[in-house]
Amino acid sequence: MGQEGTILAHGVSDGDDRLLSAQEPLAGLQMRCGGELPGTIAVPELLEIVTRARRSNVRVSRVVNAQDGSDAISAWVEVQPEGAGCAIRVRSWQTGALPSEDGAVAERRRIEIDRHLAELTAYLDAGQRILAANSEGGELAAVTAAMNGAVGAVWTDFLPPETVTHQQPLHWRLLDGARVVVPGSHREWRVALIPHRQPGFEPAGFELLLISDQPAASADAVVPAAPVPPPAPRRSLVGRDLAPVLKQPIARIVANAETIRTRLAGPLPDAYAEYAGEIASAGTLLLGLLEDMADLEAVESEGFRTVPDQIDLSEVARQAAGILSVRAREKGIAIAAPGPDQQLPALAEFRRVLQVLLNLIGNAIRYAPENSHIAIELEAHGPRARVIVADQGPGLSPEQQARVFDKFERLGRSGDGGSGLGLYISRRLARAMEGDLTVESVPGEGARFILDVPFDPEG
Amino acid sequence: MIDNAVHPADTESVEALLRDELARGDAVAGSVLPILRYLAGTPHSALFGEEVLTRTRAMLADLAGEILDRLVGAGDGRGHSDGEIEVLTRAFLPSPVLLGHVHALALEWQLTESLQARAALDPVASPLLQGLVSCADADLRAAALAFLAAQARWCQVQRRMGLPLGELPAPVFDEVLAIVRKLVAAEPTLAERARVVEAEARSVYAAETTRLGLAQRVVRGLRGSHGDVSALRVTEAGAALFLTALALGSGQTRDAAVVSTQEGQGARLALVLRAAGLEPGAVEEQFLAIHPQAALPSGFERLAADHATAILSSSSGATGA
Repeated sequence: MGQEGTILAHGVSDGDDRLLSAQEPLAGLQMRCGGELPGTIAVPELLEIVTRARRSNVRVSRVVNAQDGSDAISAWVEVQPEGAGCAIRVRSWQTGALPSEDGAVAERRRIEIDRHLAELTAYLDAGQRILAANSEGGELAAVTAAMNGAVGAVWTDFLPPETVTHQQPLHWRLLDGARVVVPGSHREWRVALIPHRQPGFEPAGFELLLISDQPAASADAVVPAAPVPPPAPRRSLVGRDLAPVLKQPIARIVANAETIRTRLAGPLPDAYAEYAGEIASAGTLLLGLLEDMADLEAVESEGFRTVPDQIDLSEVARQAAGILSVRAREKGIAIAAPGPDQQLPALAEFRRVLQVLLNLIGNAIRYAPENSHIAIELEAHGPRARVIVADQGPGLSPEQQARVFDKFERLGRSGDGGSGLGLYISRRLARAMEGDLTVESVPGEGARFILDVPFDPEG
Repeated sequence: MIDNAVHPADTESVEALLRDELARGDAVAGSVLPILRYLAGTPHSALFGEEVLTRTRAMLADLAGEILDRLVGAGDGRGHSDGEIEVLTRAFLPSPVLLGHVHALALEWQLTESLQARAALDPVASPLLQGLVSCADADLRAAALAFLAAQARWCQVQRRMGLPLGELPAPVFDEVLAIVRKLVAAEPTLAERARVVEAEARSVYAAETTRLGLAQRVVRGLRGSHGDVSALRVTEAGAALFLTALALGSGQTRDAAVVSTQEGQGARLALVLRAAGLEPGAVEEQFLAIHPQAALPSGFERLAADHATAILSSSSGATGA
């Protein structure tokens, strides 16, 4: 039954392609993709191959690509039909940073998604007065008819914003994204206003989209989900409760501020564009901090363990260097990563090693002088496999070296975007993988951060 | 695709099936070279671009879903199996009238989007239309407002690659109903149901209130009251009204007019615009708006409108039909 070889995670699906049970990291991905456990498989490519395997009753093995909101994931999955459903085995799991998107592309995508989700669309003139409204009926039929019967009236008469009590309509930028009340509907709604304009002019008209994040109550009832098991005991506040809730609005703030900064929404005096830039970078910092806090809680929780895999440290180092190469180039810093001919097999979790190396290289870029070098070296050290990140920065005194891995330790720095958590988390991660993270440095001669993880004798 | 529902013992029908399949394969093989020759010779052709093909397929599937909804019930068009949709879609494909219309819609949407990206032209409310919804002529104003609503609906439907039955022009509408009638003729209960569906569809259908019907009303109203050719200025009128005006002005079908805005059809476009009464300078402007990289042959400004008509009518191309 193909039990040989490593299996990172098992999962089981039923005859309706619902994931009944799954181990990490599959379970986490299912949740982050918006699914439930048990619940219909929420990872699109996985659902596709599970459906195919179940229908054709043939085992399917394939790479599954997915995104979980912050990372791009690529996993090798085997799906074996069993009974009415399938057994799912995850053989490999790699995560990498999502390719970053510039503000314009992200904004276009947001508009496209809003357009596809909109259940009512209306056309407005320059004064936000209704020209035409369309919907597919249902609970919005009445309000659509009322709007079409009042061409020339302001749209907020029919879809009043929830919180705003000023005289309507406000400037469109303030109304874009506002929550509105829809008479006769119990769902929560928001509007998106998309201006139509000639560059350099005020908008000549608007497209109004009415969107709800809750699905419409459907006549053909969805298969009732199996009873959901009681939630696991809560141990974390930031990681489990706050981070998921805060991430989205902060990301929205950053995206909007980027839109303003890059003047996508129209011409703007330089000073305002700079303010928007500051808002965007403050938001980015906040996101980073939030991620650090969530990581912190994860590594400090009792049950925290990593999922060791057979990895090649050389490959991880190259990926980390690749991800940060743009930032390094901006400072004229050259990163010398090990070549593809080098290999150093190790037993550790790919994603966590990558996280540690990103932190180390990121720090090196931040604190090393411009036009300097960062070297990433590999060493086999008996039972340990070792990666060294060496910079040409100011270095650390013995006293600083003793403190640098402490929680919230900033070594007197401030205002550079660090949370003082990165090295602390990295060392915890290294130790959780039965390795360690240490530093060697002489002030004035740079620093060498050394990550040790177990060597893989079979690699 | 080979239907595997055949009883294994029934060798005769298996043979017939295989022979059928073989004939279909031969037909495909026979058309490979002309298609390849065209695609290889026109590297940037939008006529058969991936997006246009995807939209064409999706619109046909959407139409099939709507008809299945009406025939056998089941909600929002997502309830039908791929196989059912495919049976209908395949029945649609041999119809030049329907396929030509769907292809033209995909090309029109592409033109609409590229004009928005390139010339900041609003896909719904073009400058001409904005003027018309507040003009003094009450008839024209009502037509413009109704067209604007229909155009807004169409844009939304195009983004979702849909094709509602009730929005088809009359000849295409008739063709679709005829195809369905023929397809279900062998099955008495389904044929009876199809008759009911057809009667229902016809009772609510009105060609003059479809988007294209309303576009004609607006363009005719403009020409009638003001002798106005402003709908022939694509950057003023927007793609939808422009294409209708182009068709009316040149005596082509609208679907043929859409194809004449494509690459490689520049001569036809220029001649049609000139024949429709646009001044040579204005022709050049419209030509550049649609083909920013192309240029009119020098000396075009001396070509008279009636001469343009003569050249067009001597060509055997896809006018009329």
